[in-house]
Amino acid sequence: MTLTSLLAPYWPTRKGLLLSLAMVAVLVALPLIAADSYTLHFVWKVLFWALAAAAWNIAGGYAGQFSLGHAAFFGLGAYGSTLLYMHFGLSPWIGMFVGAGAAVAFATLIGALTLRLQGPFFALASIAFAEVLRIAIVNWRSFTGGAEGLSLPFDPSFANMMFSDRLWYVYIMMAALLIVLLITYVLERSWIGYALAAMRENEEAAEALGVDTVRAKLFSIGLSALLSAIAGTLYANYILLIEPSTVLSIGFSVEIALIAIIGGMGTPLGPILGAVLIVPLSEYLRAEFAGSLQGLYLLVYGALLIVMVIVMPLGLMSAIREPRTAARRLRGVFGGSSRRRPVREESRHA
Amino acid sequence: MLEVRGISKQFGGLRAVNDVHLSIGKGEIVGLIGPNGAGKTTLFNCIAGAFPPTQGQVLLEGRNITGLKAHQVCRAGLARTYQIVKPFGGLSVLDNVVVGAINQTHNIAEARRIAEEALVLTGLANRRDVPAASLPLPGRKRLEISRALATRPKVLLLDEVMAGLNPSEVEKAIVLIEAIRAHGISILIIEHLMRVITAVSDRIVVMNHGSKLAEGQPAEVLKDKTVIQAYLGEDFGAHG
Repeated sequence: MTLTSLLAPYWPTRKGLLLSLAMVAVLVALPLIAADSYTLHFVWKVLFWALAAAAWNIAGGYAGQFSLGHAAFFGLGAYGSTLLYMHFGLSPWIGMFVGAGAAVAFATLIGALTLRLQGPFFALASIAFAEVLRIAIVNWRSFTGGAEGLSLPFDPSFANMMFSDRLWYVYIMMAALLIVLLITYVLERSWIGYALAAMRENEEAAEALGVDTVRAKLFSIGLSALLSAIAGTLYANYILLIEPSTVLSIGFSVEIALIAIIGGMGTPLGPILGAVLIVPLSEYLRAEFAGSLQGLYLLVYGALLIVMVIVMPLGLMSAIREPRTAARRLRGVFGGSSRRRPVREESRHA
Repeated sequence: MLEVRGISKQFGGLRAVNDVHLSIGKGEIVGLIGPNGAGKTTLFNCIAGAFPPTQGQVLLEGRNITGLKAHQVCRAGLARTYQIVKPFGGLSVLDNVVVGAINQTHNIAEARRIAEEALVLTGLANRRDVPAASLPLPGRKRLEISRALATRPKVLLLDEVMAGLNPSEVEKAIVLIEAIRAHGISILIIEHLMRVITAVSDRIVVMNHGSKLAEGQPAEVLKDKTVIQAYLGEDFGAHG
């Protein structure tokens, strides 16, 4: 077997390759054109949520392990590198991988204890584990800073992963996102991708066809946790403040999952589309309704999300692939037609 | 090829399978029949590793595969289909079958080739790109068989692959089963349609209340008084 034949399934088409190169070029050029501090922060935010959602997507989207506890893995990355840096002066570049290791260990533990739980039951268990971690960190005040969290002293240098120029943060985030995208892309086309998809669609049938579902489950949660933890470290070193009430909260876990769902679960680009749509939307609404009733923007945000989920139950990616179905569903929402048939649900019940 | 030695399965107080022995030679087709609740599917589940038997042994080519997990049994060379079909609805027909092929090879191009071969054999090749969820029932039954074949089994367990098919589809399915046997694959088939069982089986095993009731040539077994009683009740056995 030659190297070419091994690589063949992963080799993009000419069109795909050109398109990806164009996208990367635009991404790299964008921050240079609009280099004011606010725009850079905004771009960073979109990239960050895309990264977190892309990491979630490997377990939640591809493997059907619908986790609502990813804040735990994210938090282990953020706390891991930060604690090692503050207590032992270890560079976050190294601490990042220690945190990721802790996240993989935690993910393996969760996975091993919830092997028989599927769908909503797994989601509930994942919330419980994340909560246990949050409560532990809140109570271990002497080491973790408790509920007030940790504030990283700003000391810019490459070794400290802290930069005066926001452009650095944007490019690091961009690089991380591209790496995760590449991993997702290769995974999707490899035999592992088939095993994960089979497990997601029907665990019993997958097992009968020779898929080791225990390994597939642990692998997907582990890889997803590793990448989430790396996102956590990157977050901590940019925001410079980590609190259990944000980075370890259920709300955070839900937001990550939501972006991937809105964008399109189980597709490489879905999480990015989700972040590109959701982050500006939530920023815009927050600014627009800032003067009026407090929290009103959340109400509008929630209503819009509901409409999106009804119109595009399989996410933006599917709406782009099949615009007619999405248009029909949109008419259904506002015109009262009841002919809505979510494809995936049908297949599950069949 | 496959040897089942004294398999029993106890669910709480219920003995669903009781001390069943059977064996299948290379390229042989054995029909497994019996009234509803006789324990046929439970026996399948014990053989295929869906759950371990309470007692007894399963040997595949002399290798003890008792108590192995389902995926290990599959890799050892024994594949099964489900009575209630379980397609991977969101995946295309071809991708469904590729899943079966990936434990033969991790090279996707090669796995696709194996999958396409299986689809040609089962007559689904022209539907390869449609989502499995959009196949009608006969297609889904064929998909079950295609996926199982893509694992390159030595022994194939077919659980009521003809239920719900119309007469012309049944004819096609019989031809398919003969074609599979021609590849040297041994088959254990559960089926309620007697016409099918008598047409394809070299031997028949009859189960009732978890135990083996009779075994032998199709024509003889179906004349057996105890078998007729099991199916039709005491009265028919007495007069028949």
